[in-house]
Amino acid sequence: MTMSPFDHQRDEELGRLLREQLSGSRPEAFLERMRLAVTGQPPGQWEVLAGWARPRVMALAVAAGLLLWLGAWFSESQPAAEPGVTVASLPAHKLVNPQPPDVDEIMGALLAGGGR
Amino acid sequence: MNRPGVRSRHTTYLSTAQRPQRLERALRTSDVDDAELAQAAARGDSDAFGGLIERHGMAARRAARAILRDEDDADDAVQEGMLAAWRAIDRYDPNRPFRPWLMRIVVNAALDARRRGRVRHAEPIAETLESPGLGPDRLAEASLLRAKLDAGLAALPERQRIALVLFDAEGWGHAEIAASLGVPEGTVRSYVFHARRAMRRALGTLAEGMK
Repeated sequence: MTMSPFDHQRDEELGRLLREQLSGSRPEAFLERMRLAVTGQPPGQWEVLAGWARPRVMALAVAAGLLLWLGAWFSESQPAAEPGVTVASLPAHKLVNPQPPDVDEIMGALLAGGGR
Repeated sequence: MNRPGVRSRHTTYLSTAQRPQRLERALRTSDVDDAELAQAAARGDSDAFGGLIERHGMAARRAARAILRDEDDADDAVQEGMLAAWRAIDRYDPNRPFRPWLMRIVVNAALDARRRGRVRHAEPIAETLESPGLGPDRLAEASLLRAKLDAGLAALPERQRIALVLFDAEGWGHAEIAASLGVPEGTVRSYVFHARRAMRRALGTLAEGMK
């Protein structure tokens, strides 16, 4: 060993000892294991998900569009129900009338409800 | 198999004609430099990256073992580092030396493992010094040298140990070590100085007899 710690040159003897000490056993097997472990990795999970998702997302988008179109078509083909018929027991014209009800009508409705 | 996480280079999506031409294994010795292999790897050639692992894997293992002091932990760290390098190979600048780029990733993986406390245990590293054809006296001496080397390394502060191994065993320059440890170059020189002095104390005159 070169025994000057001030030496800026490499200590070849100490380096050799360190390499031998730290190299570990079966270097060829280690290198082969590393090579297989690293370059033999399956594609990343996002890659797999992306590959899976692309055709299915397209299919889902088409299906959603079809459903929306069907929904719109059905709602247009149904006859418009009179508003108020299914909403309350008040006469329909009271609900659709833009004018506020007068006091007699309100009292009448309250009394009719209270009698049940 | 191609680099994970890089879809555009994944040969699964490429036709046979589009696949990157793989370098012949025979070329992957001294006549193809690291930068060429790295560029081939960046084009999706996993064999080229395998060639880089063959070239630098053992140095990476030694550096990781110097940091983690455990064979299995060190191998795990090397694998993590190599995988990270494979995923990031397209960010490697071929105008710069490849080895420090790779080793920095591996050293950081080992330091991360140390920081995260994922290290299983820190037992003395297995005896690996080969002593072919030595008589009983020399074998005993070699065994004692291994034990003293191991004890000497174990007694060093982590950064001194890394600096010593990278400088004397792996041939890194002070500047490279400084960059990977994130300390000034003068600090690396100090690390190497103190580590050598401590190792000299630990080894005594044994190493002279091993020549």
